[in-house]
Amino acid sequence: MAYDKPLPNPDASTQPFFDALQEHKLLLQYFPSADHFQYPYSDRCYKDWSTDWEWRESSGNGEVYTWVRMHQVYHPSWKAEIPYTLAVVQLDEGPRMQTNLVNVDVDDIRVGMRVKIAFEDITDEFTLPKFEPA
Amino acid sequence: MSDPIRGQTAVCGLGITEMGKVYGHDASWFAGESIKLAIEDAGLQKDDIDGLLVNPGITGMMGTGISIPLQNYLGLRNLRLLNHMNSFGATASAMIQFAAMAVHHGMANYVACIFADAPLQQGGSAGAAYGGAGRRGPSGMASLMPAFGFYGANTSYALAARRYMERYGVTNNDLGRVSVTQRRYAIDNPHATMRQALTLDDYHNSRWIVEPFHLLDCCLVSNGAVCTIVTTADRARDLKSDPAYVLGMGQGHPGNLPHAEVEVGTTSGATIAGETAFKMAGLGPADVDVCEFYDCYTYTVLRTIEDYGLAKPGEAIGLYPEDPADPEADLPRINTGGGQLSSYYMWGMTPISEGVIQARGSGGSRQVEQHDVVLCSGNGGTLDTHGTLILSPNAN
Repeated sequence: MAYDKPLPNPDASTQPFFDALQEHKLLLQYFPSADHFQYPYSDRCYKDWSTDWEWRESSGNGEVYTWVRMHQVYHPSWKAEIPYTLAVVQLDEGPRMQTNLVNVDVDDIRVGMRVKIAFEDITDEFTLPKFEPA
Repeated sequence: MSDPIRGQTAVCGLGITEMGKVYGHDASWFAGESIKLAIEDAGLQKDDIDGLLVNPGITGMMGTGISIPLQNYLGLRNLRLLNHMNSFGATASAMIQFAAMAVHHGMANYVACIFADAPLQQGGSAGAAYGGAGRRGPSGMASLMPAFGFYGANTSYALAARRYMERYGVTNNDLGRVSVTQRRYAIDNPHATMRQALTLDDYHNSRWIVEPFHLLDCCLVSNGAVCTIVTTADRARDLKSDPAYVLGMGQGHPGNLPHAEVEVGTTSGATIAGETAFKMAGLGPADVDVCEFYDCYTYTVLRTIEDYGLAKPGEAIGLYPEDPADPEADLPRINTGGGQLSSYYMWGMTPISEGVIQARGSGGSRQVEQHDVVLCSGNGGTLDTHGTLILSPNAN
């Protein structure tokens, strides 16, 4: 069955991030002057307001900051998945990401649980950065 | 040492319209009804109003909310103060604070602060009203949110609540105790939408929205408006209704940065806002008689209680009875009108309107006997913004 859930919609600034996901790499913005990784994308470091930055590959390692089970259907394409697991993952580099947890029994999920990235190729064009138990 | 503005200003008029599934009117209409009720309550005339501050709710996010044109809709021609303010659920506090400072310094005499909203459509659900607000296909990394299935405020607050619950061992039954307590109060509130009795079983049997939230952890969505009129204490004393004097005011806005350096979800702006307001009032947490706390979710109430220093971290639930449905249970003096969970959802005006009622002693069968110090909170974003008002029947 064709993938019918909402697809990412890259813009010019974030195209490299989405391209790298297809190569199974998770990129973060790194701002050298503050020695700071930042996510999601911004054209400015919120620590020292520097605009000099580069993409750096994340280790893809982190821990579950918090998580929930979604039971409400906001978009019809999710109906068959209900309930599904949403999480915020604290990456070892510092930033936190919203994501889905996969390959895990819901009874085993805990705040603080170690996780690693699990790239999911949803279409020929797009890959999502999900996470699974480390 | 309290501040010179302590007790020098007051809410002198309160207008609460019909609330809830009231169809066929837009937000401006409700705003008009609320200001009519408020000037009648205060014993003022239309032309006395020389300040107007407005805060739209969900309809503001949809582009159909009240804004500056409300001045012309109401035909207010004497304005010396006018603004459309927004710090989400903290706005109602912020409007009254701005109005209080303005009247104290002579910039205006009677400032109407209005929240109005009309997102509910006949045949549409509350979730549709809120989930639809501002939903345009996002681009860039924001587009990952729908791609992962993240939608709405329910999700972001449920994420915050989960972290808190796992950290402190707070359970769903505990959240249910907050929900049932507030329903007990709503039963006695003629303005409340949800007035049928509720048990903990009802709470557990209500459907999941975003686990750990059941339906009965989540606030209502309401059509309606609340207007409060702010003036100086000297003017308020001579008006028709008893004033609710403003003893303390504060704000705290921690924001919401997604980074390890910032704890998100288990802290709110109440700590900073509360310190500021208590200092202005020359009071402390132990002096508080009644709490009217912003309760978009049950969890938000527990968070707020702790951040004001009324309980230690993780221990706010200890203020609630094991079974609040028990008629003998001694209910905490918190959200005595039923709050947004059970009465009506007027963002920050829900707690403030009940705070004014309690400070005046006009709460009828739900009136708290000791009501000298009424602590009201507003909260917006996902615990990003916060406003505090301390109200009292006594100026001194």
